[in-house]
Amino acid sequence: MRRYRRLALFAIAMLGILPCMIGLFAHMPRFGEHPLPYGDAINLNGVRQRHVTNMVTAVNFDYRGVDTLGEEIMLIAATVGAVMLLRGSRGEELSARPGRAPGRPIAWRSTGQVLIARLMAPLILLFGLNIIIHPQLTPGGGFQGGVIVASAALLIWLGDGYRPWRRLMRSRPIEVAEAIGAAIYALCGFAPMVVGAAFLQNVLPLGKTGALISGGLILLINAGVGIAVACGFALLFIEFLQETRAEEEPDPEEREA
Amino acid sequence: MNWIPWLLAGWLFFVGIYGVISSRNYVHLVGCLAVVQSSTYVLLLSVGYRQGAGPPIFFHIPPGRAVDPVVQALVLTDIVVGATISALLLALALQVHKVKGTLDPDQLRPLRR
Repeated sequence: MRRYRRLALFAIAMLGILPCMIGLFAHMPRFGEHPLPYGDAINLNGVRQRHVTNMVTAVNFDYRGVDTLGEEIMLIAATVGAVMLLRGSRGEELSARPGRAPGRPIAWRSTGQVLIARLMAPLILLFGLNIIIHPQLTPGGGFQGGVIVASAALLIWLGDGYRPWRRLMRSRPIEVAEAIGAAIYALCGFAPMVVGAAFLQNVLPLGKTGALISGGLILLINAGVGIAVACGFALLFIEFLQETRAEEEPDPEEREA
Repeated sequence: MNWIPWLLAGWLFFVGIYGVISSRNYVHLVGCLAVVQSSTYVLLLSVGYRQGAGPPIFFHIPPGRAVDPVVQALVLTDIVVGATISALLLALALQVHKVKGTLDPDQLRPLRR
């Protein structure tokens, strides 16, 4: 009953929204011919002003760096929330037994799978680091590279199994590293204020356009974001994979209470 | 051709919302929410598109005409944050399943004290 009521409500709401949407889209400028004053201004002046060749990075970490700081804090808040929800009885110890669904066979890892995972993990790690350190020149940056680095670590789980992976991925140092990554960003914001500049103003020497070390503060912020994102995703992977372990026996005292 | 991107964005939005409303499983619901979110990506990137222009990366070419970097920056951060939000919602779903033994929204009632 509730289901049909919900669908009816959906239909009514969509009948209201649809004409507005059609009217709005009918008045949009032609596709591909939008007036884009801000984007054009950045495309024209970004290279000259910030000595970076990737304008998306210039927007993300310099012109609108404050917004990205907010995004990063959102990311950390979501990660902390997920970790707090999942932290608990399962899989905290390295010795925890794998959980089993009754009646489901255990799939063994094949040698080929182990080989490919071991070969690919370091390559993907390198690729992720490459993406993290080149945002000022080519597409990339801390957000994308951080996710790739965390996925590279996950390949160890895919190839060698849970315990070797967990032996490498300790929660505590990763938590600390994530906080440090976020702190780097915040400090990059406050440090320019010490020398009398504005929050997040790019006060470092900008370097030569097209060189690896160019863009000043952008590189540093980006490294912070890369660390925070990689560690955040690693923490999420750890917490979710801990859930695959069998539940530990509760203490008899706790059961009585 | 002119209306295809808007049609796609609107379609993704409606399909996603319909999925959220008619969902019988929280994991499916989180997936539908990601679909709704992706409609905003399509919309933003379509607004920033410019006929015949290249990417806003001037490593090999001199600065000048290119698609809008501002909307691309928006979408870029949104994708990563969206992934962590999905993780948060899936963690919630996992806890709901542990406590209630079901993921069907219709089977769940508001918590009583």
